[in-house]
Amino acid sequence: MTTERDRALPAVTDLTRPFWEAANEGRLAIQGCQACGYYNHPPRPLCDRCQSGDLRFEEVSGDGTVWSFTVMHQKSIAGFQDSVPYVTALVELDEQKHLLLVTNLPGVSAENVKVGMRVKVSFERLSDEIALPQFVAAAS
Amino acid sequence: MTWAGKGKVAVAGIGFSALTRRSEQHLGKLAFDAANAALADAGLETSQVDGLATYIMGGTGRDGVDSVSADYFLKHYTLSPEFRWYAELQQGMIASAVIEGANAIISGMANYVLVWRAMHNPPDRPYTQVTARTAQGDSQFSLPYGQSAVYQWHAMAYQRYLHEYGAKRESMAALAVNSRRNANMNERAYFRDTPMTEEDYLNSRFIAEPLCLFDCDIPIEGCAAFVLTSAERARDLKNPPAYIASVAQNTARNRPAMISYILDDYMACGATLAGQLWDDCGLGPEDMGAAQLYDGFSPSTYYWLEAAGFCPQGEAHAFVQDGRIAIEGEMPVNTFGGSLSEGRLHGMGHLAEAALQVTGRAGPRQVADCEASCAIDGSPLLRGSGVVFTSEP
Repeated sequence: MTTERDRALPAVTDLTRPFWEAANEGRLAIQGCQACGYYNHPPRPLCDRCQSGDLRFEEVSGDGTVWSFTVMHQKSIAGFQDSVPYVTALVELDEQKHLLLVTNLPGVSAENVKVGMRVKVSFERLSDEIALPQFVAAAS
Repeated sequence: MTWAGKGKVAVAGIGFSALTRRSEQHLGKLAFDAANAALADAGLETSQVDGLATYIMGGTGRDGVDSVSADYFLKHYTLSPEFRWYAELQQGMIASAVIEGANAIISGMANYVLVWRAMHNPPDRPYTQVTARTAQGDSQFSLPYGQSAVYQWHAMAYQRYLHEYGAKRESMAALAVNSRRNANMNERAYFRDTPMTEEDYLNSRFIAEPLCLFDCDIPIEGCAAFVLTSAERARDLKNPPAYIASVAQNTARNRPAMISYILDDYMACGATLAGQLWDDCGLGPEDMGAAQLYDGFSPSTYYWLEAAGFCPQGEAHAFVQDGRIAIEGEMPVNTFGGSLSEGRLHGMGHLAEAALQVTGRAGPRQVADCEASCAIDGSPLLRGSGVVFTSEP
C-alpha cells in the first residue's frame, strides 16, 4: 500500500518548465503557437497543427467546462491507493475546442460531477517547486 | 489507392495453445504449442516455415517469458533452411502482422509465414499497475492526478460517448452477455463453462466508472497462431483457405495522451480504416456474415460498429439490443466470445474466428452461409488494423 507522499511528481524539462513555473506563481499558462494561434497541451517542440517552432507560453483565463470524467476504483496507481474511489476529469478550457487538462475536481463529490459543469482553475501545492493546477466548481 | 493483394493470400492453418488465467508453462512453450497446432491444421511441417511476423507491444521484456519475439522463434524453433524474412510490429495491432505477412508472400519474400501473439499474465506484476515515482513526458500532466491506466483513458472516452449520445451504461449488458453466450459455445474460451446474465453484468464492480469489471477483457496466458500462404498453395492444403480480401491500418491523430479520447478524432480514424477495408474488397458491412470487432474494453466494439458503418454514429448502444448481434441475429458480432469472454489475445481471437467462420469451421458457433467476415483489432482510440476474410478469392 502506498500513501499520498508516494504520488509521482512531474519530471520537469525545458519544454514543460514554463508551465510549472507559471503554476508555481498561481497562473495557468498554455503553450501557444505564435504562427497559427493554436494552443498545444501537453507542450510540444513544434506546433501540432502547423509545425512551427515559434511557441510561447501564454496566460489563459483558467475558466472551462468539464468535458468528461471517470471515477477510479482500482488501487493501481502508486500514491492513490488510499484515495479510491476518486475523480479524475478532463476540463476543456474556454480558449479552444478540445484543449483539455486533467484535474481531480477537488470539492466536487463523485455523485455531483456532471459533464458540462463550469469550473475555474485553482492550485494544489505538492512541493516547493510544484503547484498542481486543479479545477474547482465555478461560482454559479 | 487499392491494395493489390485481394484474394492472393489465405490463412491456411489456425492453432491455439491452452488459454488459462495463469500457466505453469513457459510462454515460449505455449507459443510453440500454438504454432505446431496451426501447422498441423494446415498439414505443414515446421521446416516449411520461411517467414515470421508478430506484433509486440511495449518491447519484449524477458523473451519467451513475458512475450515471444520473432528472435525467439529464430533461435529455438525449427524453421525452413530457406528462411529469409521476419517482422516484429509495434503499431497497428496483430492484424498489422497479418498485413506484413501477406505482403511478404505477395512479393515473393516467403511461402509460409507464421503469425502469432503470445500473452503473459504474470502474478507478480498485476495488469496495469503503475508504480512510477516521477511523471515523465506527457504523463506529468496526468499521472500526478492519479490518471494513467489505459482503462482510465477508455473510461474518459466512454463517459463522453454516453453524454454525447444520451446512452446508458446499462445498455452494454446486452453486448457483454452476447459475448459470454458465444464463449459458452467456444471450447477454447476461458469462460466456456461460466454463463453470465444481465444481472451479473450490472452487479459487477466498477474499475473506472463507467467501466465495470465485465467491460474489461480477461487477461490470460496463451497464444494463437496462423499460417499464411498464397491462395494457390492454400488450395492444396488440408483445410479450406480463408482468403484475405482486404487489409487496412490506422491510428487516431491528435493524441494528447496515450490514447485519443476525442470522439471526433477516433471516429475519423476508424471510418478511414473501415472505408479502405470496404473499398478494397468491394464489400460492405451488410455483406459480413459476422463481424469480429475488438473488445479489449467493451466500448471499442461500439466505436467500430459505428466507424465501420454497421450502424449510424451514436447508435451502437441501441444496435446491440434485442438479439441483433447474436449468432442467429441479423448481424452476429464477436461470435467466439470476444476478448471479454474468450480471453485477451490482442485480436488474434478475432482474426481466428473470422477465418474459421468463412471456412465453415466454427462448429456450434457457425453462422449460416458466412461468406465474409471482418476482424478489426485495436481501437480507433489508440491503434487499429483490420482484415476482411472471404470464403472465395
